[in-house]
Amino acid sequence: DAPDVLPPNAEDRKAAQAMSSLDAKGGEDDAAPKKEMDLKALNNAMKNLGVAQDQKTPSSAAARKEEAPKKLVKVDQADVALLADQLAMSKTKATELLRAHDADAAKAMTAWVTAAV
Amino acid sequence: MAANQVLPSKEQTLFRHVVQNYESKQYKKGLKAAEQILRKHPNHGDTQAMKALILSSQGKSEEAFELCKLALKNAMKSQVCWHVYGLLYRGQRNYEEALKAYRFALRLDPDSSQIQRDLAMLQVQMRDYEGYVQSRRTMLQARPQHRQNWTALAIALQMSGDLAGAEDVLQKYEESMRQTPNRNDMEHAEAVLYKNTIIAERGEMERALEHVDSVAKMALDKTAVMEMRAQYLLALDRNDGAVEAYTKLLRRNPEHREYYEGLEKAMGLDRSKTEDHQKLGEMYHGWAEQSDRVDAPRRLPLDFKTGDAFRQHADKYLRRMLKKGVPSTFANLKQLYSDPEKKETIRELVEGYLSEQPQANGGAERSEPNGSADGSHATKSKAQDSATTWELSVNYFLAQHYDYHLSRDLSKARKYIDRAIELKPSETDYTYHMTRARVLKHAGNVTEASKAMNEAMEMDLKDRYINTKCAKYQLRNNQHDDAVATMGLFTRKEAVGGPLGDLLDMQCVWYITEDGEAYLRQGNLGLALKRFKAVFDVFVTWEDDQFDFHSFSLRKGMVRAYVDMLRWEDRLREHPFFTRAALSAIGVYCLLFDQPQLAKGGAANGEGAEGAAERKKAAKKAKREAEKAEAERKAAAAKKATPAKKDEDGEVKKEDADPQGVELLKTAGEKPLEEAMKWVEPLLEMSPRSVEGQFAGFEVYIRRKKYLPALKCLLAVYSTDPEHPKCHEQGCRLRLALEKLDESLPEKVKQIIESEFLQKFIP
Amino acid sequence: MDIRVLRPSDIPHVQQTNITNLPENYFCKYYLYHALSWPQLSYVAVDVSRPKKTPYDAPKIVGYVLAKMEEDPADGVQHGHITSLSVMRTHRRLGLAEKLMRQSQRAMFETYGAVYVSLHVRVSNIAALALYRDTLGFKVGDTEAKYYADGEDAFSMRMDLDYLRNEALDEESEEEDTVGKDE
Repeated sequence: DAPDVLPPNAEDRKAAQAMSSLDAKGGEDDAAPKKEMDLKALNNAMKNLGVAQDQKTPSSAAARKEEAPKKLVKVDQADVALLADQLAMSKTKATELLRAHDADAAKAMTAWVTAAV
Repeated sequence: MAANQVLPSKEQTLFRHVVQNYESKQYKKGLKAAEQILRKHPNHGDTQAMKALILSSQGKSEEAFELCKLALKNAMKSQVCWHVYGLLYRGQRNYEEALKAYRFALRLDPDSSQIQRDLAMLQVQMRDYEGYVQSRRTMLQARPQHRQNWTALAIALQMSGDLAGAEDVLQKYEESMRQTPNRNDMEHAEAVLYKNTIIAERGEMERALEHVDSVAKMALDKTAVMEMRAQYLLALDRNDGAVEAYTKLLRRNPEHREYYEGLEKAMGLDRSKTEDHQKLGEMYHGWAEQSDRVDAPRRLPLDFKTGDAFRQHADKYLRRMLKKGVPSTFANLKQLYSDPEKKETIRELVEGYLSEQPQANGGAERSEPNGSADGSHATKSKAQDSATTWELSVNYFLAQHYDYHLSRDLSKARKYIDRAIELKPSETDYTYHMTRARVLKHAGNVTEASKAMNEAMEMDLKDRYINTKCAKYQLRNNQHDDAVATMGLFTRKEAVGGPLGDLLDMQCVWYITEDGEAYLRQGNLGLALKRFKAVFDVFVTWEDDQFDFHSFSLRKGMVRAYVDMLRWEDRLREHPFFTRAALSAIGVYCLLFDQPQLAKGGAANGEGAEGAAERKKAAKKAKREAEKAEAERKAAAAKKATPAKKDEDGEVKKEDADPQGVELLKTAGEKPLEEAMKWVEPLLEMSPRSVEGQFAGFEVYIRRKKYLPALKCLLAVYSTDPEHPKCHEQGCRLRLALEKLDESLPEKVKQIIESEFLQKFIP
Repeated sequence: MDIRVLRPSDIPHVQQTNITNLPENYFCKYYLYHALSWPQLSYVAVDVSRPKKTPYDAPKIVGYVLAKMEEDPADGVQHGHITSLSVMRTHRRLGLAEKLMRQSQRAMFETYGAVYVSLHVRVSNIAALALYRDTLGFKVGDTEAKYYADGEDAFSMRMDLDYLRNEALDEESEEEDTVGKDE
């Protein structure tokens, strides 16, 4: 059966049909895998992927994560409030900005104001 | 709370039908089935939720939310209800709330692939790549047999910045293949090229080249493969190979500038070196010789040639184009006018053509069939025809030359365009009349210009291009009613609100913006704001348009185009369409802040009682017309015996409750600067190098007494255009504001202003 | 004028060019659907000679061809379809329509193995009909009654892409010559 809302003329119908199929479920869940795939190898590959993830391969995201704890500088909530007010930004952003500048409010604000465009 | 939420088997079957009907967008059927269940089990939460979902798809979002809340009350622990709750929020673009609801649903049913999928789509839409990577890992673990799950994880990793991880995932999938897939496996053909782009993005050109060569045979996008090879060869300084690669590309498409640039580099030629000009000239000459129809290699040498060489080449080029009667000849050359010598040479050459006998330009030559489809030359002899074409082209070119701001002499422009019109090429060719209107506009006479453009339009009422031009000129002359009527000749007359409704539906940004600017000129701030908001909303729609493609593109397998789209959407609001509307809208909000009485319907620009009366009259007239158009539309809709116009999701179009923008203006007047920030933030984030954008940002921040952000705007302009007079003006205003502070600034802020502003700006 | 493949970032201006020239208009999303389903097939003509006004100037599109593959061809034959083609009135006589079409057609053939390309044209649009038939080599087929929203009929036209098969063979033999040298 056709959906409720298709237009009567052919030109529009083509467009409407295409648009309504965009969010169709692709039957991903029950489609058979391609014949050239070695399912066992695929499952192994996936497990390796997981292992690689746990071991933190030297990928940049993993590298960033390792650096992350260092950046968790303690920031003064008064400074957060100051930046949020003076720079007209959210507290989350103000916190990030402070962390990126050793929790030094003056340094953070100067850097923000003079950042190159 | 209902104690038992389990349905008897008959209703269970019905419930499955409801879900199926919803998925196939058969909303009426779905509703019927849902209501059938609810008659027996009025408190069944899942059914209520599904009914709510269908209602929201029909545009009844308030009713849907009510019902879904009720459903949640009846079935707090139902993943269906929470899932639907999330979908409803997602429909309203409230992504944060949708995310919470999905997460709740997923906690109740951790194995639901549907909920996981919807969560993932939301994460990528919100650019929460960390979360997206997590979701994609989970989805891959659930179904590793599907390639799209591998590709999706690679995309997630790539977008999160982990290129090595992305490549690794693609590699692992490929290694699990027993044999090479079928030659027409589009998904595979595209996936290998996608992997190549990752290798190139990692900066490993050598490996990228090797890889692209190794997959060239199975890739189906031949052009892309050839372009990739050429780029890598060039980057690796393998110049012979690069020359060959770009030559092959140019044989396929000799009108693509990037290929010529590549070829120049590969040949070691540099336009800025005079000693290379000879060789460059020969190279381009060679390509021009290949085809009589190709333009780029003929036009490009004008960019680097100088002096006599330029004169000779320009002469040849101009004669060729003018003889053919190519109307865009001037448009294609005006870029050269930034060089005064070239500008002068072109003028001399073309004015020289005026005194030439028509035969001197090569006698009769067949004009191209393309473009003369109006059959205007049919009755003339070919010799006469080409003589007229020549004289016409020359006069037309000179009219445009003298109309252009770098070579403007409007009385001469008038003279030449009148001569062109005298030559009367055809009854329907409005080109010259259109240019006449343009010259009038540049002379500052918008009323005459609008009239002239209207005459041009009447020459060919079936042509939408001139129709569009005419409407634009009418708007420049503040003729809103005329303009919308003009546009109405080509709109579909199906939307609520007449042609304007159609234009809004079709996202006709230029018209909406011009209409708003015209209202602003006349001090009608309500309608001006209404139009600018409409532009704002178009951009919201464009941003939301990507949503379906997060899953669609994976199904289709066209992932390079999808990644392109993600990157474009990230920068969507740097588009000049947005900036233009933003600057005007911000101007209105500043005006509302400075003169709050304007929000109560008082007119801007010191408009007197007379003006106000006139505006009222116009508003009344507009209302009458809107009503008339609406009545006509309803009559037409009734005649067609089809349901009223609905949008793609089957949503019923609602009437505009505030057609004059009165309410909008009132709300805006309550907190104009907060409203302004909705524009300022994307403007400054996406277009920081726009001087106008920074000025607008300053205007809002200084009114908000946010001195550091104001200073940031000022410094941004100062770094790109320190001589700009407005830079000085705003600097003075900031200093004045700082001198007159109500309460003193925190010490740390003072220090920054002292070191970054006062010392630099005030000697 | 630069002829190149359509990118998602071109869409706002392609949409503007379309609504400036033609009465059949589409949402941004419909353009995205083309650009993301068959990214090789749609082309634009860009006016690259415009002096820059801002650092964020968008490419000025003076002509485009929006094309697709027919998803479920009724005749079972792989073929392309032109959804929309237009060139700004100010940029006629440069052969842009033909140049755009040729690029699109080759991609249909190379990437998707299209055998022919089809399109619809309003029966009243004599100029477009002449362009497709005389300049581009399309043949007129059936008339489709009330194809357009306003009730107008359409001619359905098509063009075989055999000529590309020959071009490809030429190119291949050339290719083999060069490969032969290397080996």
